[in-house]
Amino acid sequence: MSNSLIKIAVPVIGLVAALVLAFVAYFFVLAWWSQPPAVLGFGDGPTQPIAFPHTVHVTTAGLDCQFCHRIASTEEAAGVPAVAQCQFCHDFTRITGEESDSPTAETEIAKLIGDPLEGPDPINWVRVHRLPDHVQFVHAPHIQQGFSCSTCHGDIASMEVVEQVRNLKMRDCVDCHRDNEAPTDCTTCHY
Amino acid sequence: MATRTQSTRADHKWGMVIDLDRCTGCQACVIACQSENNIPLNDQSAFLDGRAIEWIRVERYWEGDYPDIKARFLPVLCQHCDNAPCESVCPVYATYHNNEGLNVQVYNRCVGTRFCGNNCPYHARLFNYWEPVWPEDLRNQLNPDVTVRTRGIMEKCTFCIQRIRRSTRGGKQVEDQAFNPACVQACPTDAMTFGDLNNPDSRVSQKWEDERAFRVLEALGTNPSVKYLKQVDAHA
Repeated sequence: MSNSLIKIAVPVIGLVAALVLAFVAYFFVLAWWSQPPAVLGFGDGPTQPIAFPHTVHVTTAGLDCQFCHRIASTEEAAGVPAVAQCQFCHDFTRITGEESDSPTAETEIAKLIGDPLEGPDPINWVRVHRLPDHVQFVHAPHIQQGFSCSTCHGDIASMEVVEQVRNLKMRDCVDCHRDNEAPTDCTTCHY
Repeated sequence: MATRTQSTRADHKWGMVIDLDRCTGCQACVIACQSENNIPLNDQSAFLDGRAIEWIRVERYWEGDYPDIKARFLPVLCQHCDNAPCESVCPVYATYHNNEGLNVQVYNRCVGTRFCGNNCPYHARLFNYWEPVWPEDLRNQLNPDVTVRTRGIMEKCTFCIQRIRRSTRGGKQVEDQAFNPACVQACPTDAMTFGDLNNPDSRVSQKWEDERAFRVLEALGTNPSVKYLKQVDAHA
């Protein structure tokens, strides 16, 4: 009996092990070449200190990206707005979250107020879009050439939690530069 | 007539002219370069070991005999040779000539064979023997536009390519003297001139044709993009 069990068990275990190994290999190869497959929470965006919904601000309130990310067309970074700017708009429009359907809106907006004497601390947003090391990316020329933010960042307007949609590896950049006759000299980005 | 190499594909050919009759050897260029390009601080032992990293250095020569003696200074930086000996020996294509006439070092390609440094007649290429460290209170002065080079790779003067990129990115037209590398900007006697040699009206193009002009180790045929101006002094 035990002999026949082994005869069945060995190939089954071997097959399972081979499948697991194949999946692990597939995972690493895909993660290396592009992005890890969206399983086990790998494709999800990170949890932010304030559950900021781009959906509400872009779609409902109708704000342009550069209303908050103000230096995207002139500087390297797109710029994350200061807490003061968040506060200013919320004070001005008197939106405290009470009127929202979302149950968390009021508590999340209340985080902007902070200490009444010292004011709010800067928010430690978690970085979502990561470029590979050793690359100097500059937003300004891309925006100035008329590219939409969603070319690289995807449809942020419909994302409750922002996640990276393009792999933004060197091949991704170079392909796009070639298609648009942008310079592909190494020192365009590496210096 | 001085030869001037035309680059064929790009709008720019960056070059520099250094007037040695104006240079006082003050080393302001060295310090400016050091802070612009995230070069680690050289302590005494680095100099004693011959491993100090300076993208531009001021060499001093004595001319004549006492009492008719003169100190002569020669700021030496990467000459961005059009016929560069360093480029042909790199096994991983980490250094090459780009279409703006710059001799370029790609840090993330470099594997640290040091062939290029050994082949450079100007000693302009420097190797990182150690991980760069800065004192705690200088950490926040690092230039975010420049990569901090790690241990084990070559580095050298880039003509402040981060400033070139900032001024010309997106195909922007740039006026003569609109920007300068850190060394040129810091020079108190205006001895250094930087600009586009493809623009015949630029200041550097005009000085390029000066009759005092010479190039260091010209006989090697490296065809540098840096020229020096010096009056031949018959009495020295």
